[in-house]
Amino acid sequence: MIKILAACGAGVNSSHQIKDAIETEMKKRGYTVKADAVMIKDINEDMVGQYDIFTPISKPKLSFEVKIPIVEAGPILYRIPSMAEPVYDEVEKVIKKFSLK
Amino acid sequence: MSEIVNLANDIFQPLIKLGAPAMMFIVLTLLAIAMRVKVSKAIEGGLKLAIALTAIGQIINLLTSNFSVALQAFVKSTGIHLSITDLGWAPVATITWGSMYTLFFLLILVILNVIMLAINKTDTLDVDIFDVWHPAFCGILILYYSHNNLLLATCFVIILGTLKLMNSDLMKPTFNDLLDMPDSNPTTTTHLNYMMNPIIMVFDRIFDKCFSFLDKYDFDAATLNNRIGFWGSKFAIGAYLGVFIGVLGRQTVVQIFTLAFIGATCLELFSFIGSWFISAVEPLSQGITNFLSKRLKGRKFNIGIDWPFIAGRAEIWAVANIMAPVLIVVALILPGNGILPLGGIIAMGITPALLVVTRGKMIRMIIIGVFEIPIFLWAGTAIAPCVTALAKTIGAFPKGVATGTLISHSTCEGPVEKYLSILIGKFGGNPSLQSGAIVVLALVAYLLLFFWYAKQMQKRNAEYARVAKLADK
Repeated sequence: MIKILAACGAGVNSSHQIKDAIETEMKKRGYTVKADAVMIKDINEDMVGQYDIFTPISKPKLSFEVKIPIVEAGPILYRIPSMAEPVYDEVEKVIKKFSLK
Repeated sequence: MSEIVNLANDIFQPLIKLGAPAMMFIVLTLLAIAMRVKVSKAIEGGLKLAIALTAIGQIINLLTSNFSVALQAFVKSTGIHLSITDLGWAPVATITWGSMYTLFFLLILVILNVIMLAINKTDTLDVDIFDVWHPAFCGILILYYSHNNLLLATCFVIILGTLKLMNSDLMKPTFNDLLDMPDSNPTTTTHLNYMMNPIIMVFDRIFDKCFSFLDKYDFDAATLNNRIGFWGSKFAIGAYLGVFIGVLGRQTVVQIFTLAFIGATCLELFSFIGSWFISAVEPLSQGITNFLSKRLKGRKFNIGIDWPFIAGRAEIWAVANIMAPVLIVVALILPGNGILPLGGIIAMGITPALLVVTRGKMIRMIIIGVFEIPIFLWAGTAIAPCVTALAKTIGAFPKGVATGTLISHSTCEGPVEKYLSILIGKFGGNPSLQSGAIVVLALVAYLLLFFWYAKQMQKRNAEYARVAKLADK
């Protein structure tokens, strides 16, 4: 199971859209992923450590170094498939590169 | 207009009698199907909205039935009249989506967006359907005070929609700057909280002239957030507030514990349930976006999404953390305030606009933010009767609670727009020369301030363009 962390302002709207979109698309591509959506202010080093990929909307400013791969997932929020495609490709690339399971 | 309302009433009255959850289940599902969403997806969305409405009603019940007694005791023992229960944004958003008018205003705003894009008055395609509840709530305020003057409400929603689209274009280069986004990135937002920008800009100019020396005391926001850690999380804050109200309300130890845990539970559940109703609107949002983007092929545009794409900037949270205790203190001493911050205490409705105008100058964000607090608290107090009435009409208000109990949101986005809506609504309810003059004056002042702000932003954007050109050379 590949664990993905999505984050946004309230952990309610944008991050849930990202979570749902990535879960749906990755399932289509044959991967078992589980994404969680959280409030970005609640993220800390321990929490990030429990995930394989971090998919914020845009580059976040955090007080620690994120050691897992980051894929910026903002374009998913435009709801236009052709614009979201590169994000999914990037996630897939990361999964392959690190042979995540 | 009145014929339309009557016709709508004839059609919708039987639906409305079913109760808000059932009505919205049917209406949202049909609307999504009309937007060519797959039937199963449409039903899924409708069902989620119905359960979100039902669930939020239960949590409001849990919170108000426990807190209203303690709040009354708090008023009695301290003499401070803060009896309105602050639910934060999620319940207010949910009950606003429980009103059919919200769907009507959504339709109006989508049409407005298409027209403004077609005549090149904006470059923003707004796909943030969920946040339509903000302008829709302003419309509902007008309806509430004007005995359902739909024409007035629609006019104001259109004005607001137009300004929001203009503002989204104005802010675009600043977003690129704050997030290191290339020009090719289309992200922007029409969120109502950024309509506070003009007022913040006034303060920011005062800072430029008189207090710019304070900027050198700016500190790193990310480090501060890390230090605060879980102590600033929703459930922790909910627990403090339960203890605070319980102790000052002279409750027993058992009751104080109960209040602390119920406060924490409700604050967590409100946003959890909030996520259901956002995913409820999701199929409809996708349907509308498909419809719009198909018709706008070849037109280059920016895309308006919900505000948190800038939530990665640590300043937003650092300032919200610092403002939380200040919010309580101001609430306690502010004359005319009736609301004790609870659900709305993490002031996400205040800090993003501060970040955009000051571009991350921490000291300015904090000081201007503190000066803004009264505007938000007074607005939260002013909208309480309408929020309570709306909750009652959609059946999300607990029956057991004393009739005088009011609910509201202490840091609701767009406080100035809320006042304007109330003024306009009162004018509609009781038209007179005096109330008309007040509305006209208020609107003129509001628009003048906005256009002054627009000028400032155009100057800022010209500067961005100049720097970008230099970098190219």
